[in-house]
Amino acid sequence: MAKLWAIIKREYLERVRTRWFIFATIFGPIFFGAMVIVPAIMAKRSRSTMEFSNTRILDATTTGIGNRIADAMNRGRAPGAEAPQVVVLKLSEVSEAESTATREIKSKQLSGYLIADQQTLRGEEVRYAGRNATSLGDMERLRSAVREAVLAQRLEQAGIDSSRVRDMTFLPLRLKSERITDKGRGGSGTVSIIFAGAIAFLLYMTIVLYGQNVLRGVLEEKTTRVAEVVVSSVQPETLLAGKILGVGGVGLTQQVLWVITTVLMFKLRQPILAKFGISTMPFALPEISIGLALLLLLFFLLGFIFYSSLYAAVGASVNSEQEAQQAAQPMLILLVATAIFINPILINPTSTLATVMSLLPFSAPIIMPLRLALGSVPWYELVISLLGVLLACWGATWLAARIYRVGLLMYGKRPTLREMGRWIAYSR
Amino acid sequence: MTDFTVEIDNVVKRYAEHVAVRDLSLRVPRGAVYGLLGPNGAGKTTTIRMILNIIAPDAGSIRILGHPASDPTITDRIGYLPEERGLYRKMQVRRVLRFLAELKGMKAADADRRIDAWLERFDLKTAEKDWGAAKIDELSRGMQQKVQFIGTLLHDPDLVILDEPFSGLDPINAQALKDTIIDLKERGKTIIFSTHIMDNAERICDSVCIIARGEKVLDGQVNEIRESHGSRNVALGFGGRPPSTVTTVLSDRSLVSRVDDSNRYFEVEMADGADPQILLHRIVDTGATVSRFEIVRPSLHQIFLERVGATGVETGMTGHG
Repeated sequence: MAKLWAIIKREYLERVRTRWFIFATIFGPIFFGAMVIVPAIMAKRSRSTMEFSNTRILDATTTGIGNRIADAMNRGRAPGAEAPQVVVLKLSEVSEAESTATREIKSKQLSGYLIADQQTLRGEEVRYAGRNATSLGDMERLRSAVREAVLAQRLEQAGIDSSRVRDMTFLPLRLKSERITDKGRGGSGTVSIIFAGAIAFLLYMTIVLYGQNVLRGVLEEKTTRVAEVVVSSVQPETLLAGKILGVGGVGLTQQVLWVITTVLMFKLRQPILAKFGISTMPFALPEISIGLALLLLLFFLLGFIFYSSLYAAVGASVNSEQEAQQAAQPMLILLVATAIFINPILINPTSTLATVMSLLPFSAPIIMPLRLALGSVPWYELVISLLGVLLACWGATWLAARIYRVGLLMYGKRPTLREMGRWIAYSR
Repeated sequence: MTDFTVEIDNVVKRYAEHVAVRDLSLRVPRGAVYGLLGPNGAGKTTTIRMILNIIAPDAGSIRILGHPASDPTITDRIGYLPEERGLYRKMQVRRVLRFLAELKGMKAADADRRIDAWLERFDLKTAEKDWGAAKIDELSRGMQQKVQFIGTLLHDPDLVILDEPFSGLDPINAQALKDTIIDLKERGKTIIFSTHIMDNAERICDSVCIIARGEKVLDGQVNEIRESHGSRNVALGFGGRPPSTVTTVLSDRSLVSRVDDSNRYFEVEMADGADPQILLHRIVDTGATVSRFEIVRPSLHQIFLERVGATGVETGMTGHG
């Protein structure tokens, strides 16, 4: 036990002392913070230009709907901002006007154009083309402006006074969502999505970074032949366990420090953002219960042990960094495949995809914590997921220990899968 | 309490492609300097790894200091210097040594005291410079070897195993290593070292075991081995250049079985039943000036060549020694 502790201590201290670790631990949250703040500043800057001041409305009706749309788009905007230009034209002239507008958009004289026709009046369809067509916020505002205009037109046709119509249709409605779980209200829905996404991303990154760190550590011991001295003093399994626990401890330390600084920055974000002239909605950090924290820790540890023991096996069976990169592909594919699904699952956490990915042992350590952070998960799914990961961990460490023990002292060419199979079969 | 530090009985180790060690038995006396000799690929490193319990034999038994080799308490009493040397490059010398000592069950505080004494002894800590605070990769190759050697001995092991300790050492470090080995022996420690350089073994070892192709060729005390290989060797020296007819005499297989030209003299092995006196007569008859004619005991090198021959190395097996 004292020897295992000596190995854990060495692995931990030698890594925590490196400049890279100190740098990443301090600048990580600042970097993440910048990822939140910079887009906010950019968005604020770009908002005034992207508001539809430079938009052309091609009105192919004779009802004046174009002006109504322009009016609706204009409402609530800063005074003095330029209103969209409205061009009333015949239906036969639309295609030519469209190509003119397209040219002007290309030469940046115009940012977009909108075509209102009979279908628009019927409330069925309105077409828009422009540079900001991918901006969900802009398109949503455009849609509600057109709705407002069509509604106003209908109300007037029904004989309601035009000045009253204006007030009745102006509805700058904002949706504030709040999450409710089994345990009660759980803060804003957006916040919990950001929180869950951050957890999944953090787990993914720590496992990838520190898994490869284990690989490099094993490879260093093998190529410098330190391994031979160490395994003459302790069992290879002890060295392997000490390495995984030591490196895992480093990853955990970094995560905890990151979380602490992020929470601090979050608490202080309002004064910081205010300096840039951005007001923030006051929203509370999601509450994390002790039970949830323990579950997150458990999934991290199991996931890390699973992947890093496989990485260690790879490190022991190769002889150079280049070989290692190739041989580590399978693990990276599993991890990246998991990471790809983080976003879809965040958007739809109750989908079958989410359930399946949170039960498969290779993705569960990242996806199950994500689901847990988003809301309640049926207890039996949690149990199945945990059992699966535990089993996978047991299998991976068993396999890794056997490959590690033989590979560590085998130099020369990279073994074939067949030879590795034989290593696994060796008792010792 | 047994008189032997290491007892190996009928040990076999097979790998998929070949047998590394077959039916090997040997005894290493307590307090001896013991040489494990053999060509590359003979099974030396495999044998050492089995003694160290890094790998387990397929058959046979190994006992160290009276305990089975697999007894976990025994590893703390062994110091091991592998053939290929290396240490954690980015780590401070003192921390590496402390780590190696802790792996042998020492307390960090005890280790620190001894580390300083050893660093001073090997000139790694002087009034001007303390290399203990430097990182391994800031050290010269020779200094790194010293550090590794300290790491082997720090926990004051009863059995020291050195795999090809002299390879890559400069003459000064080689001398320091030799002195340390003698010092250890005087303190009652047992030293096993493997080498394929017979001259080293002959100078330092009390006993040797020669292995080739995984099998023991011979073992015993160096003196006895040389004695038993008889007085059939002659050291023959000439004053000036010998006439060419000498070559004819030396290639007479009824008289001489082998000649080894050692530059300043010839080491001549007599044929079975041949009389050295007749050899001397025939050489004098050629008119050569003989400056040295001495019946010598064969060197380990000669014995090794005789017993193992040039075919002692199996192809394609280097690196698994």
